[in-house]
Amino acid sequence: MKLIFLKIFLGLGALSIMCTTKVSEWVLLNSLPAEYTLVYYHNLPLAESVRKQNTDLSERIKTANIQLREAGKKEAGDPYYALYYGKRLFKTFRTTAEMTDLTTSPLRRKIALELMSGKLCVMLYLTSDNKAKDEKGRKEIESALSGSPFRDVITLIPMSRNSMDESQFVNMLLNVESDLKSIPEPMLFGIFGRFKALEPLVANGITSENVNLLINFLTADCSCLIKDNLPGTDILFTNKWENPAPAMVNGILDANPGLQHL
Amino acid sequence: MEQDATGYDSLTIRPLPKWLTDQRDSLNIVRPVKLQMKEDNSLGVSFFITGVIIFLIITILTIYILKKNKNKSL
Repeated sequence: MKLIFLKIFLGLGALSIMCTTKVSEWVLLNSLPAEYTLVYYHNLPLAESVRKQNTDLSERIKTANIQLREAGKKEAGDPYYALYYGKRLFKTFRTTAEMTDLTTSPLRRKIALELMSGKLCVMLYLTSDNKAKDEKGRKEIESALSGSPFRDVITLIPMSRNSMDESQFVNMLLNVESDLKSIPEPMLFGIFGRFKALEPLVANGITSENVNLLINFLTADCSCLIKDNLPGTDILFTNKWENPAPAMVNGILDANPGLQHL
Repeated sequence: MEQDATGYDSLTIRPLPKWLTDQRDSLNIVRPVKLQMKEDNSLGVSFFITGVIIFLIITILTIYILKKNKNKSL
């Protein structure tokens, strides 16, 4: 009988801790990134060289949140690879050479290091290469960050949408929503947890007020409503997410209790 | 030149992300149900029933005692 009481007590204790964990920390600790699927479509029986090519590819990407499948398709024409996130087609590739840096890249590694170091989030500013527009958005972001008590736990990283080195990463970001590719405007992505990118603020939507709402979303208590409908798209990345540093946001909130439950 | 288009305004043409509007409108927070006072007659009913029970007991006891005394006097 006493054991039951102990279990109930411990259960309630765990529940109360979960409900006060901040969104960014809870997602990093508990939410596994969704898997991508890379499908190799072909209309002929697989040659030994292709089997070996796919085995090598599978080995190369095995540490990322992706799996490789082969599928026979009569209308496939020339064989090709298709990258899916759930049912959403992100990109097609004709050769494995086009998939260099598919699962990792210098900037993604840098962002992952920031997230693992206990930062609240990384704000990735995807610039349009139109100087006037990019500058306007940048000023809004910097204005919001300079006035935020959480500025020290947020990293702002700019990246051009035409970056050749990060073309795979840019492609994934522009697939977070279906219409982003057709919008030649600056975009601000909040990246948190295990590389989850929130739907971005776009163009005139990049305002101090909205940037502060983004910060408030990540510093809020993780309610069941958020857990059940977690927004954003998981970015393809090679990394192990075990043992991240303690969330820095908790130190700020403990020192300033007035900031709690914004 | 599409790249130079300035007409795009995510605030007016394109809806803001749902996570942002939910945060702005405080829809991410579980709100406790507001308790509203309802009309409560239970105290009056309780007094009435107690009164009836006391009245019945006194009546029954009176009849019982009267009958007993009547039998003794005979």
